[in-house]
Amino acid sequence: MSELKRTCLYQTHLDAGATMVDFGGWDMPVQYPSGIVSEHLYTRHNCSLFDVSHMGRLIVEGPERVKFLQHVLTSNVMALKLNQGQYCIIPNENGGAIDDAYLYLFEEDRFFLVVNAANTEKDLAYLQEKIKSFNCTIKNVSDEWASIAVQGPKSKEMLTTLSGGVQVTEPMRNALNSIELEGHFARIAKTGYTGEPLGYEVFIKTEDAKWLWNRLIELGAKPAGLGARDTLRLEAGLPLYGHEFGVDAGGKEIPIFAVPVGKVAVSFTPQKGDYIGRAALEKQSAALKRIREEDFSDMADLPRRLVPIALQDRGVMRAGMPIYKGDKHIGWLTSGTMVPYYLCEGQGITSRYSDETAKRAIGLAYVDSDIKTDDIVEVDIRGKRLHAVIVKEHMRVDSPPFARPIIYKLEEETEAKVGSDQHRMALDLIKLAQDNHQWRQKKCINLIPSENTASRAVQLLCQSDPSFRYAEHKKSLSFNNEDIFYYQGTKFIDQVEQMLVEQMRQYLGCTEVETRVISGQMANTAVFSALMDWKNRYNRRVEPQRLGYVLHNHILKGGHLSAQPMGALHDYAAIDPVTEKRAVVAFPVCADNPYKIDVEETKKIIDEYKPEFIIFGKSMVLHKEPVAAIKKFIDEQKMQTTIMYDMAHVLGLIGDHFQKPFAEGADIVTGSTHKTFFGPQRGVIGVNYKKDELKYGLWETIERRAFPGSVSNHHLGTQLGMLMAAYEMNTFKDAYQKAIIENAKYFAKCLKEAGLDVAGDPAISYTETHQVIVHVGYAQGPEVAERLEANNIIVNYQATPEEEGFTASGALRMGVSEMTRFGFGKDAFAKLAGLIADCVLNNRKVADEVEKLRSQYTEMKYCFNDAEMEEALNGFAGIIGL
Amino acid sequence: MNYPKELNYSKSHEWIKEENGVATVGISDYAQDALGDVVFVNLPAVGDAVTAGEAFGDVESVKAVSDLVSPVSGTVCEINEELVDAPEKLNKDPYGTWIIKVNEISDKEDLLNAESYEAFCAQEAK
Repeated sequence: MSELKRTCLYQTHLDAGATMVDFGGWDMPVQYPSGIVSEHLYTRHNCSLFDVSHMGRLIVEGPERVKFLQHVLTSNVMALKLNQGQYCIIPNENGGAIDDAYLYLFEEDRFFLVVNAANTEKDLAYLQEKIKSFNCTIKNVSDEWASIAVQGPKSKEMLTTLSGGVQVTEPMRNALNSIELEGHFARIAKTGYTGEPLGYEVFIKTEDAKWLWNRLIELGAKPAGLGARDTLRLEAGLPLYGHEFGVDAGGKEIPIFAVPVGKVAVSFTPQKGDYIGRAALEKQSAALKRIREEDFSDMADLPRRLVPIALQDRGVMRAGMPIYKGDKHIGWLTSGTMVPYYLCEGQGITSRYSDETAKRAIGLAYVDSDIKTDDIVEVDIRGKRLHAVIVKEHMRVDSPPFARPIIYKLEEETEAKVGSDQHRMALDLIKLAQDNHQWRQKKCINLIPSENTASRAVQLLCQSDPSFRYAEHKKSLSFNNEDIFYYQGTKFIDQVEQMLVEQMRQYLGCTEVETRVISGQMANTAVFSALMDWKNRYNRRVEPQRLGYVLHNHILKGGHLSAQPMGALHDYAAIDPVTEKRAVVAFPVCADNPYKIDVEETKKIIDEYKPEFIIFGKSMVLHKEPVAAIKKFIDEQKMQTTIMYDMAHVLGLIGDHFQKPFAEGADIVTGSTHKTFFGPQRGVIGVNYKKDELKYGLWETIERRAFPGSVSNHHLGTQLGMLMAAYEMNTFKDAYQKAIIENAKYFAKCLKEAGLDVAGDPAISYTETHQVIVHVGYAQGPEVAERLEANNIIVNYQATPEEEGFTASGALRMGVSEMTRFGFGKDAFAKLAGLIADCVLNNRKVADEVEKLRSQYTEMKYCFNDAEMEEALNGFAGIIGL
Repeated sequence: MNYPKELNYSKSHEWIKEENGVATVGISDYAQDALGDVVFVNLPAVGDAVTAGEAFGDVESVKAVSDLVSPVSGTVCEINEELVDAPEKLNKDPYGTWIIKVNEISDKEDLLNAESYEAFCAQEAK
């Protein structure tokens, strides 16, 4: 036993009472006195420390480091940007795994490769042999660095404490950073082997390891051993070399594509060249594609696959147990045990782990590739055949801060309740709608920044006759480019549309306007589609190219869904062949203010990516967008980049008190008409191209992509209402916009004074828009927003730029537009700020006081509410019978 | 580690207590500690015959499975149903948590008293 290797934390483990075992030649803690079950659960609800210093840490450097790694790894090394990591596999010629590994780019000029402890010597010998043909070197730095995995929902908070508040890493998985932890240099990766949505692996100099370990224990973390590491990774469905990689129980090599994460780790980009195992892997990939299409005719290259399996009978499955379907032996368990989990209480996004726990027997199975999810199989547990089911997953990891166990349940056939007394239901519906209307309009204070109530005039117009009609129309060159209508009875609608276009041209300050799109998202889709069509106009006989690099605001930094590849950009954003990722790049934000675009850094990004298209605009917006500065830079660079400003949120703020997008150089503005603008729910597109310009053709393409590209019936009732809203806006915008900005700044100040943590720059009173962002504590947003709703205050919960996504939301997003329209001024917002603070900080019930405050402000301002208009509206309401 | 004086022990780490012709069987503190978290106990049925020195069931921890070896031959007359839902009781209170009771005893292993068993465990731990 004396030859077992020890990590620099060996004595620390002994002092903590750990049970030590031989793991790949290392004397490692398998568990501490609290036991594996307790360590597993503590990781899931708090934070555990794992000594992973036994793993191999290698550095690859030299001129041909990329070429070398492209040759010996499965992944696309070129996809790594500075401070990113990627999972990869060291393949053999047969498409099997020599090892699986993680590749990190902490420094531009060298790669950091972490391999399995037991394989380090084997891997190093192999790589040293291969590297001989390349002008670069590999060295083992395992002794210089220790590795501590810090995993669990509290990990971020603990490490942020040690960093003195400095952001540990960007919130995305695989993000890296090099920072000081209380004066000790550390390299940190947002990675892990537990499935925890919040988890880090910290590389720290060997001599500092004990300090970091003990400091994290002081902050509340607990040590966990290899036993818990195994149950956690099994629950997360992650492979372990020697079980899911390597050879199976029958002695055959497991193909890389048999393992679900194998596919993620393998790239076939041409720039990888003919790397080791490529030919075999391409065959496996083709086989996997067939199998996924449920074509099981040729599974020779991928006869079996790894799938999660859950035992239905009582017992425990273990690695090596054979699996049967009927009489047929279909494979083996590769890993299996009983794992504990927390039962959840509550529903939806505010559901949380309860104190109650349970256990389940789960595993990973290597079974015939034609076995499907939900198939019932039998596991031979020491001679007894027990029932098990192939499941999709054991756990979901996409709702930080907590992992969510997925417990297999047979789906019960529930009969949909279809009532038969529609008359009764109709009456009930009226009652429900009336209650909702009363609550939202009379009792609630609505602070959703993307909402507004329309004036009575707008509402009545929306309900009048055009709302039942069609009026498709398109310009025709044969008829002097006049609009040709395909329906009769539409002359009034035609007039309305022309007047609306005129009013919106005046409002936006541009040459052309398209009003037929019925939402902001549709406006964006129509523009993206037009840009792509315009780009491909010279040759329509080949597959059209998608857009080149697009510069946008990332959703985690407040960007709108309609400018994300997962949203409206989906079908238009290309894949960069070098990185194999979406050709979309995000505006860099200021280090001291993540709500603000960093203009100088943006110029560097523009220089590097030469974006074809820039999309300004956000849904979490506190600042003006630097349109003029970027436009100036683009012009200086003599680039043809199209600049669009998606003004969804701030359409109603265009003018002297906020921004004039076209005056600042935007080519295109899109927006929705019902957030800060006064209209019903629609969209709008404005462009500033003149008839003699080349890009006027892009405008004409946008018109075609609006109709017939996006919409047939463009909702003619709300188009009529929209015209009234445009009249209102053009009349009242100066007073309204001034009030919005003043109210938002004052509201933010009052919230701050009431003790809340208001985001943004205090020097400008936190905001330059209608929005105010308040931090309420990491992942507390949903619960606090729910509490405010119960007290008649309606807000959005919102993830801040440092947070992982909506489930981790630690902020509230509020807007002053609707309440300003109902006459809220400084006094009312001061009172409201006090009530919100009381409800958020002291959990006081304020519903009645909110209702009372609301009741004092029910008359709409910034609209035509004179006697003459009232008489006209009464008459109109009578005529239309509403 | 605890070795109650009133019990006898087998070399496979079960404890046994005989009263009025009924043998009550459990696992020792040393056994539960070595197993780690017990997550499942595979019990025989009442009426099953058990043989001294042979497995009558198994106990599964997170890490591994171990046979439960009967120190006596006889018939299972009672099983501890509590262990179906709460196998962790074997960790928390190994001597207060019996596994099976056996009557009609016909044979017995050579058992150790507390003192000899403690010495045996000390030897095994080396």
